[in-house]
Amino acid sequence: MIPSSKITPESIFLNRRRFIQGMAGVGLMSTPLIGHALQFKSNPEYKPALELTDPEHALHYNNFYELGTAKSDPFQNAEALHTDDWKVVVEGECTKPQTFDMDDLLRIDQEERIYRFRCVEGWSMVVPWIGFPLSKLLEKVQPTSKAHYVEFVSVLDRKNLPGQRFNLLDWPYKEGLRMDEAMHPLTLMATGLYGKELANQNGAPIRLIVPWKYGFKSSKSIVKIRLLEKQPISTWMEAAPREYGFYSNVNPNVSHPRWSQAKERPLGSFLKQKTLMFNGYAEEVAHLYKGMDLKKYF
Amino acid sequence: MSQALKITLLSLICSVPAISLIHRLFTDQLGANPVETLEHFSGDWTIYFLLLTLSISPLQYYFRPRWPIPMHLVRRVLGLSAFAYALIHLSVYFAFDMGLSFNDTLVDIAERPFILIGMLAFLILIPLAVTSTSGWQRRLKRRWSQLHKLIYLLTFLGILHYALLVKADLFQPLAYLSLFAALMLARQLKGLKRN
Repeated sequence: MIPSSKITPESIFLNRRRFIQGMAGVGLMSTPLIGHALQFKSNPEYKPALELTDPEHALHYNNFYELGTAKSDPFQNAEALHTDDWKVVVEGECTKPQTFDMDDLLRIDQEERIYRFRCVEGWSMVVPWIGFPLSKLLEKVQPTSKAHYVEFVSVLDRKNLPGQRFNLLDWPYKEGLRMDEAMHPLTLMATGLYGKELANQNGAPIRLIVPWKYGFKSSKSIVKIRLLEKQPISTWMEAAPREYGFYSNVNPNVSHPRWSQAKERPLGSFLKQKTLMFNGYAEEVAHLYKGMDLKKYF
Repeated sequence: MSQALKITLLSLICSVPAISLIHRLFTDQLGANPVETLEHFSGDWTIYFLLLTLSISPLQYYFRPRWPIPMHLVRRVLGLSAFAYALIHLSVYFAFDMGLSFNDTLVDIAERPFILIGMLAFLILIPLAVTSTSGWQRRLKRRWSQLHKLIYLLTFLGILHYALLVKADLFQPLAYLSLFAALMLARQLKGLKRN
């Protein structure tokens, strides 16, 4: 399925890694670009031979409206996001609601997975995330039989986050998944990227990654996870219900009201490539939506 | 300095943004999404030059500056610069977004109002660029200034084209719209004074 031209020779891949590791060594540690190394194992099951996006692009071209709406804002304003003493509350329809700090979360086995990432705006990347399946976290709180949906609430810090000084969106940022989507083995809580801790502009210290959905479903800088009986309303659904639905699965056959989703432009590239159904994860996730009209449930 | 030299110099100044863009293109400094950078940059400068073109008459009404070359020639160079940046904008879209396919472009125009509006603005700009010469100005006489009033409409359409594209942050298109409104108001006030 993957053309051989898209496979990165291991030597180049290793060189890139060495380059990134080397940068940490020459004193660039003070920039928000490079975080600390993480303890992790590469998961061979999620190691497709795809060409990785240049980390320069993945770290400088971001949608993170809390830090500003221009693509370069999140990197420039990265220091406005304070991640010390970060805690994640998991509550709602569960028997053991808990508050986790980052040490608790990093004690869960961390693994590296290479995923495709497709933004609703029509650009895409391939990046190595580090993290753990969300299911491992949810199992710890023992969801009840009423837990049909999961809501993710992101950071709220109006004093420091420049994008939250205006009510461009209804802060804090909220997203949601159906329980079976949340428990799916592909659904990842990411703590790192390219072998390092998440950079602030990428949603430090912990974010969601749902690779078969448009990028905005993958909430950044999460502080609260709620198990719910009823479907929550996400921030973008509230802002523009005609344009952003609850499911927001990557689907080349269903256009955004203002642009086509049939193609995407990989970061760093001039030319577009075809977008794959469920972003290339149809084999793993198509069964979740069997019998659903994907035009209606966009 | 001769008038021809001054006009050449002004044209060169107007092409500085384009030259900087070409420099960034060849030194790999267009960022993660180079096509988007090219499109946004050329689109922004199209609007800047349209607004500059529209600001010449109000400047004349209110400040009567000493123009280095006749006012209508300054306006012509600025207007043609707007056309040049719009042409870059459209070419990048046609080459890299539409993959040089006329068919895909027609489908895009039919399906997406903001593309249709942008196209309309460009179509209106073409006859203005073509008839910008002194020859055409003489031949069309009074109809020339009537025709060139279309710049009001096409500038508005250009800003609307931008506003319809953004996801949530309307700050920049609204800033352009405010400048446009201010320039239009300046014209109206002068008109009232004259009556």
